Amino acid sequence: MRIPFLSMFIKSPFEGIQEHAEKVKECAGVFQKAIECIIEERCEDFEHFRKDIDNLETEADAIKRRIRGHLPKGTMLTVDKFQLFRYLREQDKVLDAVEEGLDWLSFRSAAGIPEVLEKDFMLLVEAVMDPIEELSKMVVEARKYFSNFSEPQRRLVKDMIRTLRHHEHEADKLEDAIKEKVFNTIDDAVAVFHLIRLAEIIGSIADHAENAGDMMRAMIAK
Amino acid sequence: MASEFYILIIGYIFGFYMAWNIGANDVANSMASAVGAKAITIRQAIFIAGILNILGATFIGTHVTNTIRKGIVSTEVLTDPHLALIGALSALLAAALWVSFATWKSLPVSTTHSIVGAMIGFGIMAGGFSVINWGKLGAVVLSWVISPVFALVIGFIMFKTITRLILSKRDPFTWSLRLSPLFIGIAFFVIVLSFLFKTPLGKKLAIGTPMALVIAFILAIGLGFVAMKLLGRYTQKRESSGAEDIFRKIQIGTSCYVALAQGANDVANAIGPLAVIYFIVKTGEIGASVPVPIFLLFFGGIGIACGIGMAGHRVMDTIGRKITTLTNTRGFSVDFAAATTVMVASKLGLPVSTTHAAVGGVMGVGLARGLEAVNFRIIFQIILYWVLTVPASAITSIVIFKIIKLLL
Repeated sequence: MRIPFLSMFIKSPFEGIQEHAEKVKECAGVFQKAIECIIEERCEDFEHFRKDIDNLETEADAIKRRIRGHLPKGTMLTVDKFQLFRYLREQDKVLDAVEEGLDWLSFRSAAGIPEVLEKDFMLLVEAVMDPIEELSKMVVEARKYFSNFSEPQRRLVKDMIRTLRHHEHEADKLEDAIKEKVFNTIDDAVAVFHLIRLAEIIGSIADHAENAGDMMRAMIAK
Repeated sequence: MASEFYILIIGYIFGFYMAWNIGANDVANSMASAVGAKAITIRQAIFIAGILNILGATFIGTHVTNTIRKGIVSTEVLTDPHLALIGALSALLAAALWVSFATWKSLPVSTTHSIVGAMIGFGIMAGGFSVINWGKLGAVVLSWVISPVFALVIGFIMFKTITRLILSKRDPFTWSLRLSPLFIGIAFFVIVLSFLFKTPLGKKLAIGTPMALVIAFILAIGLGFVAMKLLGRYTQKRESSGAEDIFRKIQIGTSCYVALAQGANDVANAIGPLAVIYFIVKTGEIGASVPVPIFLLFFGGIGIACGIGMAGHRVMDTIGRKITTLTNTRGFSVDFAAATTVMVASKLGLPVSTTHAAVGGVMGVGLARGLEAVNFRIIFQIILYWVLTVPASAITSIVIFKIIKLLL
């Protein structure tokens, strides 16, 4: 069939990005369960959760590669191709941070999280879940905007990005509070290092989600 | 006389085959955006394309046919009717061969380009290089470069306009309804002008250029507003209604516009050489300028419609399933750009490719950031085959000419 018209249309990368965002969300859910498990003392499923995250990360990586590998030179998108790649990189970093968090915990899983800090860490984890939820919603809405270019829709996406930033700020405050508390309540230097670094890694999940939001803001700029 | 009679019959067969090919392959390119955007079903597309291709071919088609017949190759210089007859037949066979080859190998080869190349080969054989009107040929080749660019520009401007004036508004539904007379009016303006200029019908009415412009303008405004009223009546506004609901309806009209333009333009590819054969057989000589008989144009239109009816379904089914990201506003912009380009080119007597105009339209919307992912590399492929097709079909035509000459 001689249809040049048909060969002009290729698979939209936005489909992949949406899929990737769903994987990030899924990962975040497992992460939360893993942390809860650690805190509940006798945690037997921890390794199981880690493996889950590992698998999800591999799947998300495949999606990422598929998006990058299937945009031939000379492809015109609704947004700049490299903006899209940078956005994807940030979204992927959210996942990497989740994985790193569990890995870091596993290095000293016997000690776990001290009882005095359990509540604080739970709050922090909960706080970083919000931006991830918001992220996958934002991708869906942004795609809608690229299809209808409506001003109210653009405002909606902008609002979501603002919310994302707000969530990150909240997570930041919790992270700082944990750090302060760790220095003032824990005396063991090794434990201090482990916990401070853990707080930083969990906090960085929200950071990357916020960065992804900022990249999205650049993409929807007029 | 007997051999000439057979040549005429062969001419009819291959002319019909070329028209069939246009219907089977090229129509899919022009109806693709409407089918892809789900504005019309495949069945509707086949119906619309069939009827309007016949109408376009019969009533607007003459001018391009004239150009292919005696513009590039000046028949006035040909002295031997017998040679000219063989030449026209070989041109038709060569073009048919090329189109079949391209269909078999899935190459983006344009029917228009095949026939022009074959006609050049015919001209060289029948009267030497001197009968080729190089200036005219240059203009035709230039039009192949210009037509996609022209469609690209129109597509770009159209989609940007829709984005600015409709999509970004708070109530895109109302705005698209309000602005619909403008879009529909422009299309009608072009169509009415095409009817009035240089068609047998227009000549009978004998209307001067300024008068034609006035008539087209008034009709365009009138029909534009009638269309708006109809759109308003038959489109229900729902909570979630947007511009796409209105444009889905408008697209039914633009796909008619495309089919009409295509019929007007592409019929020449099929019956250009046939017209030469017909003329020589009927009069026994090569005349200076005789209009193509209307029944030949109608014959070409029927051929295209048959192609659509028999093979169009399969092609459009593929399109409908593969192109899912096209929305109605985009499809409208593509259709509008392609049809306007083809209509204008057709009236200027330039045999452009409808397919390439559609490709140009998609690129325009893509450049306006309207499509999620468009691959622009197809243009390099098109340019490559465009450069290859003309000499290749010219040489094929020459070879066939030699063979037929040996036989007769």
